[in-house]
Amino acid sequence: MSSDASTLETEVLIIGGGVTGAGVMRDLALRGIHSLLIDKRDLCAGASGGNHGLLHSGARYVSTDPDAAIECRKENALLKRLAPQCIETAGGLFVAVEGDDPQFADRFPALCRHAGIECEELAPAEARRLEPVLSEKLFKAYRVPDATIDPFHLAMLNVDHARLLNGSFYRPHTELLRFEIAAGEIRAAICHDHLHQRQLTIRARQFVNAGGAWAMNIARLAGCTDVHLLYSKGTILVSNDRLAQRVINRLRPPGDGDILVPGGTVSLLGTTSTRVEDLEQLAPTAEEIDRNIREGAAMIPALAGARYIRAFSRVRPLLQTSGTTDRAATRGFALLDHASQGMDNFCTITGGKLTTFRLMAEKAVDLVARRLGNDRAGLTATLPLPDDAASSWADPAAAQKRWHHDRDPDDMILCECEMVPQSAIEQVFANSPDIEKERTIELIALRTRAGKGPCQGSFCGIRIGSYLYDSGYYRDATGLAHMRDFLDERFKGQRSVIWGPQAAQMELAEALHCGLLGLDTLEDE
Amino acid sequence: MAESAIASINFKAAALELLPEGANFEACLSCGLCSSGCPASGMENMDPRKFIRMALLGMDEELSTTPWIWCCTLCKRCQYVCPMSIDVSQLVFLARGNWPEDRKPSGIVRSCQLATSSDSTSAMGMPPADFVAVVEEVLEEVRATQPDFQHLQAPIDKRGAHFFVNQNSREPMNEPEEMVPLWKIFDVVGADWTYASKGWAAENFCMFSGNEDAWREVVRKRVDAVNQLGCEVWLNTECGHSYYSMWQGIARFGLEANFRLESIVTYYAQWIREGKLPVDARWNTQGIKFTVQDPCMIVRKAYGDAIAEDMRFVVRTLVGEENFVDMQPNRSANYCCGGGGGFLQAGMTEQRRAYGKRKFDQIAATGAAYVLTPCHNCHSQMHDIGRFYGGHYGVVHLWTLICLSLGILGKNERIYLGPELRG
Amino acid sequence: MRGSGTLRHFSTQLAVIGSGIAGFAASIFALNRKIAVAQVGNTGALAYTTGYLDLIGRRDGASVADPWQALASLRELEPKHPLCRVNAADIGQAFTEFTDFLGACGLAYSAPGTGNITALTPAGTLKQTLCVPATMAAGPRALAANAPCVIVDFKGLKGFSGAELAANLRARWPQLTTQRIGFPGMARGEIYPEVMARALEVAATREQLAAALNAIAGSAKLIGVPAILGMHRPDQVRAELERLTGREIFEIPTMPPSVPGIRLRELMQQVLPQQGVSLIPQQRVTALSFEGDGATLALCDAFGPIRVHAQAVILATGRFLSGGLEAHAAGIREHLLDLPVTQPAGRSDWYRARYTDWRGHPINRAGIEVDDSFRPLTGTGRCHHERLFAAGVILAHQDWIRGRSGAGIAIATAFKAVTEAERFLAGRQAAFPGTPPAQCH
Repeated sequence: MSSDASTLETEVLIIGGGVTGAGVMRDLALRGIHSLLIDKRDLCAGASGGNHGLLHSGARYVSTDPDAAIECRKENALLKRLAPQCIETAGGLFVAVEGDDPQFADRFPALCRHAGIECEELAPAEARRLEPVLSEKLFKAYRVPDATIDPFHLAMLNVDHARLLNGSFYRPHTELLRFEIAAGEIRAAICHDHLHQRQLTIRARQFVNAGGAWAMNIARLAGCTDVHLLYSKGTILVSNDRLAQRVINRLRPPGDGDILVPGGTVSLLGTTSTRVEDLEQLAPTAEEIDRNIREGAAMIPALAGARYIRAFSRVRPLLQTSGTTDRAATRGFALLDHASQGMDNFCTITGGKLTTFRLMAEKAVDLVARRLGNDRAGLTATLPLPDDAASSWADPAAAQKRWHHDRDPDDMILCECEMVPQSAIEQVFANSPDIEKERTIELIALRTRAGKGPCQGSFCGIRIGSYLYDSGYYRDATGLAHMRDFLDERFKGQRSVIWGPQAAQMELAEALHCGLLGLDTLEDE
Repeated sequence: MAESAIASINFKAAALELLPEGANFEACLSCGLCSSGCPASGMENMDPRKFIRMALLGMDEELSTTPWIWCCTLCKRCQYVCPMSIDVSQLVFLARGNWPEDRKPSGIVRSCQLATSSDSTSAMGMPPADFVAVVEEVLEEVRATQPDFQHLQAPIDKRGAHFFVNQNSREPMNEPEEMVPLWKIFDVVGADWTYASKGWAAENFCMFSGNEDAWREVVRKRVDAVNQLGCEVWLNTECGHSYYSMWQGIARFGLEANFRLESIVTYYAQWIREGKLPVDARWNTQGIKFTVQDPCMIVRKAYGDAIAEDMRFVVRTLVGEENFVDMQPNRSANYCCGGGGGFLQAGMTEQRRAYGKRKFDQIAATGAAYVLTPCHNCHSQMHDIGRFYGGHYGVVHLWTLICLSLGILGKNERIYLGPELRG
Repeated sequence: MRGSGTLRHFSTQLAVIGSGIAGFAASIFALNRKIAVAQVGNTGALAYTTGYLDLIGRRDGASVADPWQALASLRELEPKHPLCRVNAADIGQAFTEFTDFLGACGLAYSAPGTGNITALTPAGTLKQTLCVPATMAAGPRALAANAPCVIVDFKGLKGFSGAELAANLRARWPQLTTQRIGFPGMARGEIYPEVMARALEVAATREQLAAALNAIAGSAKLIGVPAILGMHRPDQVRAELERLTGREIFEIPTMPPSVPGIRLRELMQQVLPQQGVSLIPQQRVTALSFEGDGATLALCDAFGPIRVHAQAVILATGRFLSGGLEAHAAGIREHLLDLPVTQPAGRSDWYRARYTDWRGHPINRAGIEVDDSFRPLTGTGRCHHERLFAAGVILAHQDWIRGRSGAGIAIATAFKAVTEAERFLAGRQAAFPGTPPAQCH
């Protein structure tokens, strides 16, 4: 690595801090290859963090994409074994309610069998006993081995492991601006460091584009035009609490509002699918929200009156094939070796889904390693993902229990909703030397459960800010700006679901943040 | 023998069932007013907000097993200060009932067992015959030693009496002379009253143990006893939870009660207003200062501020306007003393006294020499924390002061008065 | 069961629905005018108030030094703003009556002045407000004078950081320093301002705190603390601590759950009944109906159902937090009477993209419409009922948060509503009315 802070060197630069990029980083490290991972925002800021967190059994794709279903089935089994700390083996149900096509329901077990996916029929009464929220109008139910996976936790563990293995490192808020290209090779990536507002040059021997939905744009920066993606906007709602124990799928061809996935202490309802052209400035529309709730309520009536605390939209990159709808478009992935485009040290890995991230990373690293003359085999299919204490603060199924079990009354809880104490913040910082100097409240929130409960950071944002002033990290108005930015950022996810108790919560929050603290007027201070 | 396991309750589902829409756990804003206003906050690393959050976070095992449910006194102050009116106590009650009997604080369980073991429903296990004997004995003694009260009556099982008067077991068991002031008050106002040999007791620790069947059983026996005697009014004497457990129990278990439930405090006020109880403050020549403790069970949880106003009217009349100092906060906003909910019987002395520190501070801030309260648990707890924290106040029943003011308080009826009033 | 739980009836001239600042102000104004009043409503949200009484603290994203001048310009530009429908002299009188009342009850306030006070916040930012409690008054003075001052914060009290205050005020107030101490008798775990405040009602705690303050204050003659100086007798608690330390002491508001709001709530709940108000706190009115001879409020407390009969009613039920307005996915509704609510066209328009946008969110300006007598209007522009008046932030065309005008709107409109209700009641009582009562049209 260069001593010049504005130039960094590594063997492989990975662009895109989604689960795939993080997976590539670890896979490389396991083969002894040093890498640097950058993201223009932070881990899982795109589709990796903007999905249900469903670890597919594959059953969802048996009717539309049997190959993807089989791929999911295999990776599902593998990840349950290798990364159990990120997974809740919740199980899944497929349910048909009055009005759904009985023939489709009848065909379902055979389709599952064909893909090798376990599928057990349950009597409707039994399904409702397991999940009392299910509609009385349910007439068919099957049990499948769906599970849930926490993409943030997963990405963090992959990054941490790579760092421990060979000092590979991760830089958030580092945006690729352009490539320096010479003689059919990328020599360097010219980036903007948003945190320090400066330019950064990163030199590497190989460049991996793991930009997800942005992969097409990134490839074009290198003059490669062989990445063809469709952008499908998906909108998902987050409820205040966990409504069902299992993943609940509607037993019909994939559509809007047809899946409710537990996310630790909450449930996620999705998903609408709309073709979009623009990758930025995505926000859920009232119509999408209402549609998800309306459709979801047919399966789970309580969804109509539930308290929602967030909704978000993300773009899924779908590989373009002609003549298909977005729903039917392949959920498979593609590895594009850009040698055909005259770029010998660049490749793009995109498409796919959370469940298959490991496989995608492995395929990409097989190529990169070969190019680097490294013939070591990939280990991610056999080597368990190591755990670490700091990352588990992000785990929605466990974080809140830690404080209760540690029982140290002096370890103040800063986020009351999710029970995140001071010590969590200390651990997150202690464990993340790469970002040590960049303490923002957003960063803490990404790596813990802070701000993810019903108050959406309105109280803990202030408490964490005060704590960071106390600990000497903030010494000027930066802390207030960070508080404001954190609250502004949380708000984006709340904006489209503010009704019912959430409107009361918002009035209290605004009265505090703006009425008293004046966070709406920091500019003129 | 190994301890029984505590089954896990689904608290979120239970809250959904028990609490009204809009005041459910779902409505919580996480603001912390409940915890800020709860003396049990911090005990066992718990507080009301954590209780709600843990329920919503699915921490059912932790909530099902936390001993904090025995530090919470079910006083409902959290609900009172909550902008959303969320009632945590109902879920705490549920959790209590869910503990196996052998894991519950043995003092509460034993008190409940004793209450269900006899027709007296006495938590101290005093059988009907003993109660009758003690009453008769004490009555004899008063008639013999207090010339003004040779005619005093303490009827038992008097059919058709207007008032069916209940009695906390502590007096007949431990300090029988403390029953006498109330008898004298009835005598002065000419009340038509009776004790009963069955169902006479006031206390109901079965409610606090979370044992609904036993709670119902105790209330049923009392209701039957009143119905049988054909009394118009079941008159609750100076015992807070007695009223609440009877009032709520009758409604909760759908029992048929052919009588009204009333609190003695209401009647003290009424009799004073009607001139039947000609009390005044002329006795208080030393300007001794008094405060009152509003029992949660009859004020915040039942009658509301109306009865608190009656009590203040009584006390102001008794001690003189200028000698009455209200504790802060008061009436429906008052803090539980820490003796309620079975805390006094739970054997958790350290926690109970820590809880009571706030009550001690409240009393200390008034500078009063005496606290008056129409509740036995309040009485015992305030007495205990007063001594523990080095306070210099006494705790007195209203009946004592009424008789003192009327000049009819016997020498041996002054155990809770300081030397200046022992006469 | 007979007896307990039977329906209870109250009769009164004026019923106030709502127990926020507007509701309590209305009761105070009614008391001052010898109107018999009953007040009902959950007082929970009052506990969130900071203690500062704002009139107009900001306009168009700029800080306001002279709220009266800002009011004059508001009249030109936003004539529908509730503050513009009360004349300035009345607003002044309303503030004076309100703060005088609080002062007489032992919670002294600075009198409304000709200009705003630059007051402190727990973030170390500054805020323009009209009246501050006496316990907080020395802070703004010390700031203005750049006096040597130490902010004391407490181990275990979350969300109040002296370091934060000092860091953000350093440029304006270089003489500000900070120290952390433990609160007497509360060595471990989380502590709440409310608990500290109550503990300071006891002399022994004050003495211990004073000793701890003296140990760290050094040469500073001024000490700033979070708002914990007593709950019931804050002025005495402060005076006593000042005597014991020989220093001037002031409070700074804290984030909820905070003391000043609880102080106000407990004060009102205590004093108003003493002064003859039939106060039924913590209960929500479930129905309001009008008959020929008056209005009837239906509600229920722990003991059972209650009916309040009144000649006139003031609706001061607040917004979403207090339940006066309800936001449904399909639109905003007024909770009690389903009065029409002026609101943005659709849910998508409720909020701007940025939370802290200085212009505020359109939903904040939603609310009910009133005529010039502050009688709520129906959809056809007629008044709902001649006996019904409205006050407080339930009224449309204002953003009390961005305008820093919550207390101002509450107090001013309560004054106006009570004045109009008084006129109505007088008209009803007078056999030969001198001036005709306000007509409902």
